[in-house]
Amino acid sequence: MNSATQTLLTSLRTTISNIQANKQTFLISVMTIAISVGILGLFLIIFLNLNALLTSWNQHVQLVVYLKNDISFAEKSDLQDLFKSNSKIQSMEEINKEKAWEEFKLTQKNSGGLELDLGFNPLPDSYRIRFKPSENRSLHISEFAEQVQGNRGVESVEYGKKWIDRFEKFMIFCQVFLLGVGVLLSLGLILIISNTIRLSIYSRQEEIELMLLIGATPSFVKIPFMLEGIFQGLIGSLVSLGFMGAVYSYLKNQFQPSIDSIARGMEFQFISQPFLLILVGLSMLIGFVASYISTYQYMQVLNKK
Amino acid sequence: MIQLFNVIKNYGSGKPALDDVSIKIEKGEFVFLTGPSGAGKTTILKILFGWEHFEEGQVLVQGINVGRLDPGNIHTLRRSMGVIFQDYKLLPNKTVFENVAFAQEVTNRDQKKIKFKTWEALKNVGLTPKKDSFPPQLSGGEQQRVAIARAMVNTPPIILADEPTGNLDQEISNEILKLFEEINRNGATIVFATHSQEILKPGKHRVIVLNRGKVVSS
Repeated sequence: MNSATQTLLTSLRTTISNIQANKQTFLISVMTIAISVGILGLFLIIFLNLNALLTSWNQHVQLVVYLKNDISFAEKSDLQDLFKSNSKIQSMEEINKEKAWEEFKLTQKNSGGLELDLGFNPLPDSYRIRFKPSENRSLHISEFAEQVQGNRGVESVEYGKKWIDRFEKFMIFCQVFLLGVGVLLSLGLILIISNTIRLSIYSRQEEIELMLLIGATPSFVKIPFMLEGIFQGLIGSLVSLGFMGAVYSYLKNQFQPSIDSIARGMEFQFISQPFLLILVGLSMLIGFVASYISTYQYMQVLNKK
Repeated sequence: MIQLFNVIKNYGSGKPALDDVSIKIEKGEFVFLTGPSGAGKTTILKILFGWEHFEEGQVLVQGINVGRLDPGNIHTLRRSMGVIFQDYKLLPNKTVFENVAFAQEVTNRDQKKIKFKTWEALKNVGLTPKKDSFPPQLSGGEQQRVAIARAMVNTPPIILADEPTGNLDQEISNEILKLFEEINRNGATIVFATHSQEILKPGKHRVIVLNRGKVVSS
C-alpha cells in the first residue's frame, strides 16, 4: 500500500471517529446544508419550469406578414421565393382578406362579442409562417421578420415581439436572482460549516497538538477535517435532493393536468442531471472550503506560538 | 547534535524567559537540565522541538536551523526526536497499544510494521500485559512508561523529556531513569529536564543548571 493510500485510509478512520464523537453538530450541519440546498433547488425547479414554459410558448409563436392592398404579382412572387429559400421555415399559409375576415368574425362570435357588419373588409391579405422547432427559434423569427419588413408590398409583420422580449428579460432577472440566492446561501453555509468544523477541531485539540508534536505533517492533521466538511456537503445535498424528488413526484401527480392546459405538451420538470451534479458538487466544495478555512486558521494560531 | 547560540526568548514585556543562552550537546550524550521553576528548562525543550519561537540567536538540531524552519516542514525536525512530558499526554480514549501505535500512524508507516514495532516498544518498557488497558486505568509510573514507549517507538536519535518523573515517587522515578539510561546506551541523545535533586544525586551525567533564563553552569 503506498503512502498516499495509507494517509487517506488513516484520514478516513479519523474522520469517521470525528463524526461519531460529534454526531449532534454533524447532524445540525447536515440539516442546515439540506435546507439551504432545498431552497436553492426549489428556485432552480421554478426557473427550469418557467424556462420550459417559455420554450413551449415560443414553439407556438408564428410570424404573420400583412401585405399592402396594392402589392404587385411580382412582389408577391419575390416574397414567396424568400419564404421558400429559408430552411428554418416549416410551413407557410396564405390567408386572403376574405378568409381572414371570416376567421375574425368567428373568433368574435365565439368569445361572446358583437356580430360585426362594417360593410367593408378592413383586413389585408397575409401569410402565416411557422418555423421549425429549434433552440434559437425566437431569434430566427425576429431576424427573418426584420428581413421581410424591408420588402416592397409588405405592410407590417407581427410575432408578439414585445411579449417575448419581456418574458426573456424576466427570465434573465430570474437567472440573476437565482445566482444571487445561490451566492448568499453558499456564503452562509461556509460560515456554518466552518463553525461546525471548528467545534470538531476544538473537541480534538489535545489529539491534534499531540499529532503535531510527534511529527504529523500539517496535511495529515487537516485532511480528516476536510473530509468531514466534504461529507457534510455530500450527505446534506443528497438528503435535500431526495426530499425534493419526493415532493416533485407528488406535485407532478397532482398538477400535471393543469400544466398541460397552460402549455400543451409541457412536462413538469425536475432539476436536470447536470444541475443535480452541480448542486451536489457545489455542496461538497462548500464543505471543503469551509473546513479548509477552519483548519488553516487553527494551524496559523499554533504556528504563531 | 544540539546547539543553542545566544538564544533570547521573551514572553510579554517582563524579564526574558531565556537570556543569552548558549548550550552544546554532543551526539549520544545524556544531559540533565535543572533549575528552579521558571528557570527556562521547559522553554528550551519547546524551542528544540519547534513549539515556541525565539527572538534572537540560533538553534541547530542535527544540522537543522530551527529558527529558519518553515512551519510546513517542522515535522521533519519533530520526527528526529521523541518528546516526553510530565503529564504524559496520552490519549485517554485509546488503549496503551493504540497510543504507542499512534506515533507511527502519523508517519505513514504500514500497519504490519506498526504492530511489530509497537509490540517491541511495549516489551522494552515491560507493558505488554497492559496493552489493552486505557491510560486512566494505569498508575502514574505505568503511564509514563507508555509515554516513553511512544517516544522511542520510531527510534529517534534525540529524546527530550520534560520533568518525566515530576509526578512520580522516588522508587518509580529511579525505574524511569533506568529506562532512559538504557535508551541512551542504545545510542539516543537524551535531554532530561528535572528539578529533582534526588535524580541528579548519582552524578553519572552532565548537568546544565539554569536560573532565571541564564545558564549558571554546564
